[in-house]
Amino acid sequence: MRWPLLFCSLVLAAGVAFTRGASSAPPAVAPRTLDDYRHFRIASIDLLGRMPTRGEVATFERADFDFDRWIEEHLQGPAYVERLTRIYMDLLRLEPNLNFSPAPAQLFRHEVLQDDGKSVYVYYRQNQRRAEPSIDGEFCFAPDETGVVIRPNAPSVGATPKALPKKLLEARTVLVHPWWLYRDYRSPHPSQRLGESWKDPDPQYRPVETLLNEADGKPTIAVRVCREEAQTQDLGHVHTSGRLKNAPADEKLPGGRSKPPPIDKPFALQHKGEPISCDTRSALENSIDCGCGVGLERCIPNDGNGATNAFYFPNKMPLGPGQPLDLVKQRAERWYPYWWSREAVHFLDDLFEKDRDFRQILVGRQSFVNGPLAQFYKTMQRTSCCGPETAFGMNEELAPLFEPQNVPVDLMPHDVETWRMVPDRGPRAAGILTTPMFLQKYATARARGAVLYNAFLCKSFVAENAQLTPSTEPNLMKRPGCQTCHATLEPLAAYFARIEPSSSVFLPATNFPAVSAACRKDKSGKLNGNCNALYDVAFADDKGATLRSAYGSIAHADAAATGAGQDITKMPEFAECAVQRVASSFLGRPTNADDAPLLTALDKEFVASGFRMKTLVRGIIRSSEYRKANNMTLAPAADAGAK
Amino acid sequence: MGIALLAAGCAARPVERVVGTPAGALVARETIDQDTTPKAELRMVPPEVYMRTYLQLFGGLLPDAVQQKARGAEGNNLFDTWDDYVSSLGFPDYRLDIPRQTQTNALMVAAFERLGIALCDRAAERDLAMLGKAGGPKATALPVQERVIFAFDPAPGAMDEAQFATRFDVLHRTFLGYPAALAPKERAPRYLALYRDIAATHAKTLPKSKLTPDQAAWAAVCYGLVRHPEFHLY
Repeated sequence: MRWPLLFCSLVLAAGVAFTRGASSAPPAVAPRTLDDYRHFRIASIDLLGRMPTRGEVATFERADFDFDRWIEEHLQGPAYVERLTRIYMDLLRLEPNLNFSPAPAQLFRHEVLQDDGKSVYVYYRQNQRRAEPSIDGEFCFAPDETGVVIRPNAPSVGATPKALPKKLLEARTVLVHPWWLYRDYRSPHPSQRLGESWKDPDPQYRPVETLLNEADGKPTIAVRVCREEAQTQDLGHVHTSGRLKNAPADEKLPGGRSKPPPIDKPFALQHKGEPISCDTRSALENSIDCGCGVGLERCIPNDGNGATNAFYFPNKMPLGPGQPLDLVKQRAERWYPYWWSREAVHFLDDLFEKDRDFRQILVGRQSFVNGPLAQFYKTMQRTSCCGPETAFGMNEELAPLFEPQNVPVDLMPHDVETWRMVPDRGPRAAGILTTPMFLQKYATARARGAVLYNAFLCKSFVAENAQLTPSTEPNLMKRPGCQTCHATLEPLAAYFARIEPSSSVFLPATNFPAVSAACRKDKSGKLNGNCNALYDVAFADDKGATLRSAYGSIAHADAAATGAGQDITKMPEFAECAVQRVASSFLGRPTNADDAPLLTALDKEFVASGFRMKTLVRGIIRSSEYRKANNMTLAPAADAGAK
Repeated sequence: MGIALLAAGCAARPVERVVGTPAGALVARETIDQDTTPKAELRMVPPEVYMRTYLQLFGGLLPDAVQQKARGAEGNNLFDTWDDYVSSLGFPDYRLDIPRQTQTNALMVAAFERLGIALCDRAAERDLAMLGKAGGPKATALPVQERVIFAFDPAPGAMDEAQFATRFDVLHRTFLGYPAALAPKERAPRYLALYRDIAATHAKTLPKSKLTPDQAAWAAVCYGLVRHPEFHLY
């Protein structure tokens, strides 16, 4: 049951209980001390998520009130789940202040003039390859044709737009029924348009009005898209233009374009004509027969010629998405990060609601997806790859952290409120550690290692009496002054060497050995080819080079994030840290040496129960320390509010 | 020449020397055992709990509905928007890595004030409608079980201590979660004094208010409890 509904029903139930208590014969009342009442109040705050109502206090006063049974009942409730999730969200802060805008996934639009004098939006991708040199890598109409130079993320240049002949418009563009407008966009003849025959979209699915209407304000029935972008096949082919060098600076550029058309990259020359997956970065850069897929489902729309708006979703929701305080027009590049955060919360909620083994937080292969995330994991995540990786034979993601084939097939991009559990993301999944939200929030291998150390082992990197002296030692585990922290941090960071920074792209050992003989220092001391992007010149010689961030521990680099989860959860400090974090949160103060007996007992029970949080919380709430944690007992309050 | 004189003057000053005085040995005055018991620090109710409690006190409504109800239609700015209060209440902002506030500050206390006043005034208008304007038509009293805050009937005529104590107990349980009888003995009499003071002042000066003296007096008792430290701490 979701929070708001449950909340209202609890309040109603409390009211009924109170009413019954008021109108029928008074029940037997047990003598309660002030400490009893306060214990009940703090337990209510922790397990109901609010202060107790009068009705609940009256129930507590009854002689037949069973506190243990009350605890058990409320350990099943959403407030308990929210309480536990809050502890780990406070620690990990898994909400995005970031964008996801890989070029192949971003669909922009520009307003052009038709020969009947009316304007029409034409959707396009930046850097889209096209056969004609005048428009290759640009908007699908040249400046000589539109009368303006279209610039990404900036106003167009040119005073007098030209009308496009209808024949040219038809030749270069296609009308598409896009996914954001049609529920049945995958059908050959989509008919269920948002707000018309599709009347019951999820309330939280709210495209901005400008995506639903034309420039003249009339409802959009179909969007006009550049022909290349409208292509639907999954596989394209590597294209070469025959241009091997940039044109001389004084040469007139075709179609009045402001920059020369792209030249063929080494990848294209090596793989000319070979098939290429269309949902990759390589395809956008190297093929002319790859588009946004059926109904443009591999792309997300922007309502302008740069990073502009796409959907309404909340900015402030302190009590969760069920009770938002606002609904704001937001940029397309924020859409998926918003859902990444919700995925992390669902993952944690499930862990606590189902009382799963808490080690799953670092080793679990399950996760949760809704419609936008299903769309993301099926296609969008793949568009981050591949650039320098192609030099190592990886033209598309070979070993994704979330296997696309494990995504539920029946979720549509509009199903924002339908969350489905995915029992197994794939063999490289490792709890929260391989979710996009964690990997983007903690963008580097060191950041990931550090948060693991702090959040799950309750340890901090504090350099005591460090003497920093000038040094050229690249190994921070040896450099004087640095080694205090880095001797621990670098091996932790190595677990994440196979996941690219600020990304979820996984580098498999088959193509990217931790120490590669294919990457070597040349005579000038530089790494050959594309090695520098992925291998570390500081840990290379003429025989090979080490994968970036892997030098702290080659074994950890090969064990990857799954190895990190397994190794950390095996350490005794993992359980101790969980006990300390939860106990400290419920006691409302840092634990100290005097709490050792309590923590030891709780730790023993927690481990014996198979790392079940409910066992731990039950133990805390029944403890005398928790009862004493009520500060009001120790410091009787003055009646400051009254005269 | 002036500079030369100044320089000569400075040069003539004797060098200042500060002579240290050795500290005397500290004399033991008393021997006490070190207190190693765990210390419970004051802890604030988390903002999530605080907000959810307010929603419940407003009748189990969603935030939007509470905001609408608290703002009312008379435009007296009794309540702004939740949006204006959430950061003041100490919620964390994970996106900007701003941690939750665990100690009060001036803005937070001001937000508590506004929320408390809005709650008590709206509740007085609704639950105590039968105490409405003298001379005007009396509103029909809501059934007691439908009154979220003032779930009692007003006393007929002037209230004595016992009559007040019964009604005060309802409010005490509502906000502080335990019977007023377990509170410090002076609490109920002090709140009764507050009640009488406000009712008398309100009747005498006839301030421009929607509330009658009795409604205003009960609202003041409500303010006192909703701003009580025991309400904000746990």
